[in-house]
Amino acid sequence: MAVKGLLYTKDHEWVGIEGVAATVGITDYAQEQLGELVFVELPVIGKEVSAHDEIAIVESSKAASDVYSPVTGKVIEVNQELESRPELINEDCYKSGWIAKLQLTDPKSHEDLMDTEQYEQYVAGL
Amino acid sequence: MQERTRAGQFVFEQVDSPAVGSVLHEQHLKLPSRLHMNPFCGYIMPLWYSTIAAEHRAVREAAGLFDCTHMGTLDVSGPEAPNFLDFVTTNKIAGLQVSSARYSYILDAAGNILDDIIIYRRAAERFMVVVNAANEPKIKAYFKALLNDEIPVDAEDMKRKLPYKPDISNMRDTSQDKDCRVDIALQGSRSLDIVSVLADAQATEQIAALRPFHFVQAALGGIDCIIAGTGYTGSKIGFELFVHPDDASKLWEMMLQKFESQGLLPCGLGARDSLRIEAGLPLYGHELAGQFDISPFEAGYGWAVKLDKDFFIGKKPMEHIAKNYDMEVARVELPGEKGVRPVRQNDAVLNSDGRCAGWVLSCAKIEEKQIALVYMSREHTEKGNPVGLYYLARSRGQLEQGRKNRIEKAEHVSPDLAGVVLGRFAKF
Repeated sequence: MAVKGLLYTKDHEWVGIEGVAATVGITDYAQEQLGELVFVELPVIGKEVSAHDEIAIVESSKAASDVYSPVTGKVIEVNQELESRPELINEDCYKSGWIAKLQLTDPKSHEDLMDTEQYEQYVAGL
Repeated sequence: MQERTRAGQFVFEQVDSPAVGSVLHEQHLKLPSRLHMNPFCGYIMPLWYSTIAAEHRAVREAAGLFDCTHMGTLDVSGPEAPNFLDFVTTNKIAGLQVSSARYSYILDAAGNILDDIIIYRRAAERFMVVVNAANEPKIKAYFKALLNDEIPVDAEDMKRKLPYKPDISNMRDTSQDKDCRVDIALQGSRSLDIVSVLADAQATEQIAALRPFHFVQAALGGIDCIIAGTGYTGSKIGFELFVHPDDASKLWEMMLQKFESQGLLPCGLGARDSLRIEAGLPLYGHELAGQFDISPFEAGYGWAVKLDKDFFIGKKPMEHIAKNYDMEVARVELPGEKGVRPVRQNDAVLNSDGRCAGWVLSCAKIEEKQIALVYMSREHTEKGNPVGLYYLARSRGQLEQGRKNRIEKAEHVSPDLAGVVLGRFAKF
């Protein structure tokens, strides 16, 4: 399941863009694949990342997985709630399970991402 | 790690074929929407049906049902079968009582563990040998090479050949009109109630009186089963049910339909792993053999290697290890409440001085704790000993921050978690 209005990566991250602010998380497909999440390592506020750089690590009891930033920008906020409740990503990955907010520093870095329909087709083909 | 001569080593190159569904595949697809399947040892197997934690809890508090039909079942029969199994495995088999079972190891002549197995004696000259799914092709090839006198049985006497030749057949192959069997495990305190409902009065009495590592043959819901008091979860009450592959689906469905309301849950490989870790049971490739070449003695199973037998394949190297090993498998408890990073294979185990005493082999999160099976210096494995844990770097970012991705024995690092050594095994 994907949500309208977001953009998606092939690595199953999503990003919601509002002006120069970008909210990043992992998709329903990703959380389903990982299973119950038990740990999230959040980025440091102020960290500057390019698209495809590692921004967080999510770990289930079976696997640790890097989360890559879909966009180029600077981390301005992180979802601290995930440190004590990593399962929010399983329960509500597109809303309360968001991971970080970035300030875009390259307005073009999200141009190649998939829209909802493209991402759903991509997942259907996996 | 033990140094061993390579003489007598059995070399087997597995050819991987595409994974196929188990005989219960259709049943799995009928089950809940959170079902997660993955290829495992040539089969597409469920990792979980609901969640690992819920399935783990079901086994500890009620009962769980496991698809183990991918495990190898071999029939070893004939007048020479008892001596053959005594010769090619480490435990004493020739004197085993009918209707009882014994844990044993298959080694090559160089002393490498090829598999850990359970041997069920069905009659004086008839045994069922259950082997790990991952090792089944290797064990079949090994037995075939032994029977054909293609490989040495004694590294000291490379011309020595196998003196006992039984009939060996694959009990999962239904193309021959034989007694075929696959394994479905029913584990947890309610499993006795469940089989009692399905068995007639006489069988129920026999099953209730079953001691661990004993079995009976009886019908459950009209399906012929070998009902064995064995398992891989640490449950005091639990069975492995060996049924004809054509009956497996019917038995599985019947049990879930009748007993799901009483807390019976289908359990995937995830819960199987967390349950066996909590109980301290070894998994081939992790706590046996594997990257540290762990021997039965180091794994805590020296009792299954009978050095007082005249001979078994691999005996000489085992004698050496039994006298000289200084590392062993221990069970360790670590914090595991929310927000604690999961401990993983190869993370470093530290002694009270912060020096690396060993490494993590397997770990599972169980409720608010993590239970790890570790390979560490024997001087630190006493129950109650404090230990530290150091997480290895798992990403480039962590490496850049100075976290190491490998810790050598005796290296000094600061612990990330504090834990304690538990007893080697636990029963539930």
